Amino acid sequence: MKKREKKAAAVVLTAAMAMTMLAGCGGGSSSSSAASETEVQTTASAAETTAAAEGESEASGSVGSDVKVGVPTEEAQKVLKAAAEAGQIGNWGNGNQYELLALLNKYKLPTDYVTMDFTMDAFDSDSITLASAMVYNELGLVMNDYDGGYGYGDSVKTIDMNDEGVGMLEDNIFCTKKFAEENPQTVEAFLYASLKGWEYAAQHPEEAAKIVYEAGSSVSQGHQQYMAGQVAKLVQTDMNGDTVKQVGNMDEKAMQQTLDLAKQYLNLDDASAQDKLKNTTLDDIRDTKYMEEAVASDGKSFKPEKTDVSIQLKWLPQSQFMGYYVAEAKGYYKEVGLNVNIVSGGGDVAETTAVNNGTVDFGVTWVSNLIAANAGGMDLLEVAQIFQRSGLELVYKPENFK
Amino acid sequence: MTARSRRSNSLDAALTVVLPVMLGIFIIALWQGGGLQALFHTDSYVLPAPTRIFSIYQDNSAAVWKNIWKTTSVAMLGLLLGSILGYAVALLATNFPGFGGGGLAVIGAFASVPLVALAPVMNNLTRDVSRVAETRSFVAKMLVVMLIAAADMGLNAYRGLTEVPPYSEDLMMTYAASKRTVFFKLRLPNSVPFIFTALKISVPASIMTAIVSEYFAEYAGGVGRQIRENILMAQYATAWVYIVAACGIGVVSYAVLMIVRGIIHKKLHM
Repeated sequence: MKKREKKAAAVVLTAAMAMTMLAGCGGGSSSSSAASETEVQTTASAAETTAAAEGESEASGSVGSDVKVGVPTEEAQKVLKAAAEAGQIGNWGNGNQYELLALLNKYKLPTDYVTMDFTMDAFDSDSITLASAMVYNELGLVMNDYDGGYGYGDSVKTIDMNDEGVGMLEDNIFCTKKFAEENPQTVEAFLYASLKGWEYAAQHPEEAAKIVYEAGSSVSQGHQQYMAGQVAKLVQTDMNGDTVKQVGNMDEKAMQQTLDLAKQYLNLDDASAQDKLKNTTLDDIRDTKYMEEAVASDGKSFKPEKTDVSIQLKWLPQSQFMGYYVAEAKGYYKEVGLNVNIVSGGGDVAETTAVNNGTVDFGVTWVSNLIAANAGGMDLLEVAQIFQRSGLELVYKPENFK
Repeated sequence: MTARSRRSNSLDAALTVVLPVMLGIFIIALWQGGGLQALFHTDSYVLPAPTRIFSIYQDNSAAVWKNIWKTTSVAMLGLLLGSILGYAVALLATNFPGFGGGGLAVIGAFASVPLVALAPVMNNLTRDVSRVAETRSFVAKMLVVMLIAAADMGLNAYRGLTEVPPYSEDLMMTYAASKRTVFFKLRLPNSVPFIFTALKISVPASIMTAIVSEYFAEYAGGVGRQIRENILMAQYATAWVYIVAACGIGVVSYAVLMIVRGIIHKKLHM
């Protein structure tokens, strides 16, 4: 009898310890629901504004006016200084940190940062007071209160990399130089159909979000909708906030700024790679020829050398890549004679490696990743630039910086 | 023993050293010459030649050693504390079977949770440990290693403490030895070989755990983090420097363990 009691006590103890551990795991979500309760008012109005803005953009097809803008430079400097000195600036690292380093360097601040995981729990709990957030992803989670959101609404403020002049270009389309030389018609046909998909998606973000969601989305439909709206702005607006004339355009100035910042802040241990990086020019990483041909074409006369092609995404299926899903769903790829397989990424996929070793034909990566890969010995070529401005923001709660 | 068999013995001994060394040299030659790359259908980009890896190491040796120290310190401190904890739980389990058995079950259960799940939990748990991210991170990584090491030690040491040879126990009984005496004269010495059995598993495991925990750590640093970051940035040659470093840590610590085991076994006349 006594033995049985002891055993029971042991089981209870085990269960209690397990519960405590699990509670630690879910700490973030419980506090976020508390936050959403208190700020339900602001969130609701924020959601309305977002919806209104999206409706507007859909009607006019131009979004130059309502692009998300950060706080003024003086305010940004003050916040950066305080957060840097407290050691509470967060970023994911792994190649996502260069804009942050450039910004800290601009204000002559120490360039240390804390590594963030893929949630905003650390921001929610104030252990990171100035957190990195992609405008189309993490920022939406922080502001909105749909499933997985933290519901801060408009109470948070952001520092925008484009405003600060340290923006670097992100999502592009690339392949190997060899593939482009051997299959120019395939590249042009793929670009033609993909850009058509992107144009449609940028003008109809709501429909695009639905298409992505049905294609196997990794996040909630609400978040997918938010993301589509923000990505549409990144595709149609340049770093100065002006409307882009041609989707997929490789803007000379923005590309050069990205390359210059990469040269300054990428630090490769491999001496030969570092040498190659320092001597990299725009011509080593991009070719506008295919894009120009594709745009000039009427879309009917492509003779693809290779008809079955694949594209490796940088992340899980989400509206960040809506253009490809739309092109597939609307049959744009079929129209140009291509059979396209969209390969989703996630976690630790190295899209540059996948394209370089021929596992896939095309890939989506950030320009800085492509620059690093080529410096390391790969032979990759950007053929279109989808995002025309940086999507990185630093988000903070103003009450932490009073 | 005849002269002939003695000669064949020394020949055997020589061969056990020479053959593996020759195989190692052969593989490295194949690697350097590009044969290994052809065999694995890869290229010198993803699997760079040893000379290239070594030259990058030479250029960055200070940084490499700093990262090796970061990983090793986490692994070794975690291993030490974990082993002490595990042994303590085993002692508890031996003397108070009810509660101690539960403790062993708890440790075993946590150790079977995949690392990828455990590491972020520990990050959350240690949020308030320190204002300095580096310290917080160190504690979080060490806790994961500690759990893994504690489980290995706890389960093995418990066996060592309880599974004593029956005749020894009988002998102790005929001496009318007290529980205390049985414990110190019989159970404790009996558990020593089991401690090394546990360490043989937990030394490599704790290094592996430390490396994987670095993937999720708040403060970037260590061999594992460097491997991941360099592969993501397509810097395979640099990543290989750290892969070799990770292997080195594993091999050296295992060798040290074996030497220590040899010395202790000799001292205990086992």
